[in-house]
Amino acid sequence: MQSQSCWVTAVSGTLTRVEACIPALRRYAAALLRSRDDADDLVHDCLVRALAKLHTRRDDADVRAWLFAIMHNLFISQLRRAKARPAGEPLDETHEAAMSLRPDQENSLQWRDLIRALNALPVEQRSVVLLVSVEDLSYAEAASVLGIPIGTVMSRLARGRERLRQMTEGGEEVRPALRRVK
Amino acid sequence: MSDPVRPIAEEELHAYVDGQLDADRRSAVQRYLQDHPEVARQVAAWGTQREALRAAFAPFAVEPIPPRLGLERLVQQRLGRQGLAWRAAAAVVLAFGLGGAGGWFLRGDMQSSDDAFTLLAQQAVANHVVYTADLRRPTELGAQQRDDLARWVSNRLNHVVAPPDLSAEGFSYMGGRLAATPDGPAGLFMYDGPQGVRLTVFVLPLHTSPSQPIQHIDYDHVDGCAWIEKGVGYTVVGKLPPAELRRLAEVVQRQYGGAT
Repeated sequence: MQSQSCWVTAVSGTLTRVEACIPALRRYAAALLRSRDDADDLVHDCLVRALAKLHTRRDDADVRAWLFAIMHNLFISQLRRAKARPAGEPLDETHEAAMSLRPDQENSLQWRDLIRALNALPVEQRSVVLLVSVEDLSYAEAASVLGIPIGTVMSRLARGRERLRQMTEGGEEVRPALRRVK
Repeated sequence: MSDPVRPIAEEELHAYVDGQLDADRRSAVQRYLQDHPEVARQVAAWGTQREALRAAFAPFAVEPIPPRLGLERLVQQRLGRQGLAWRAAAAVVLAFGLGGAGGWFLRGDMQSSDDAFTLLAQQAVANHVVYTADLRRPTELGAQQRDDLARWVSNRLNHVVAPPDLSAEGFSYMGGRLAATPDGPAGLFMYDGPQGVRLTVFVLPLHTSPSQPIQHIDYDHVDGCAWIEKGVGYTVVGKLPPAELRRLAEVVQRQYGGAT
């Protein structure tokens, strides 16, 4: 009985945490995909997949990283399918969702440029920049979500941030005076 | 491990921007940036960019969640067409859910005030136990995102509620999260007190329940205080002497504009 109720505590604890992650999953999906409906479809598929895999989760591994990993894998296979489709419809150049946000804010123009620049990044860099900057994942968590080494996370982050900076500031490329640890 | 001569790696500039450096390396980077204004400008630009991205996408995380993404509905859909293993698992949750932590699936009709009070105590303690024990991520939104959390929780609770300020009592606000109960969503705010004691304040709308004054609660050997005011249940839970819990409960009650 004791172990059963521990297990119940674990499952309902996990479900509670899954629910708490939904806003962040929607935010990340909305940043990756340009249409709001596509973003929520992705979150929906992610939650369905997570529930299907729930019983295989016994450890206390971080629920958030687990969910982001599921969503990332779904997103990547979606991209592959889209590429495989011949002459698919071109993706909308505007980020419908983010563009329509807070039109009252002074910042919205600046954000528009930033989001446009973000969308111009290769998707590998975009995910790293978003997971680290917006979703507050540690570099190790981002590495596990994306299934890549931490070193790759760091180099994608560096390249992504620097390209974003150049695109939004229109500045010339400045390499830091320093490189790796000697 | 202070090593002032260790050179700064480019990775560390990013870790500096992301707040992922320990104190020693943070001050090493700060010293380096003071001597290298050009790099400092670049690092500042990354920081601005980080903040702008967060601000640009923040609204997505606070808007209401559409029904088709409601987890409870998805769980029920899944129950309808699942294999034996999952059903057996779910059955256990259904059988024990209400008494267990989270108590997630059963949506009981909480008619009498005693039931409502019991529910409040159970849920507050269960969420306290689950989340204070979570070393990696006790809160969903940290202390810096206090306003975001207040908006999110208020939105979901349909009731304006912000984390109370207990700093004058020696409890610093750590952050909070949305919690799930059989009676709908609740807000959970967590505090770090003297000697590392964790205190949680739990807020759960209990629409039809009559008001009740502050009372000591003890559920599963965890102590706290609970009260109901204007259809909203509140608790303060933590490993503290009953008198201290009561005092804190009165502070929280006053901050929420309540009686006494």
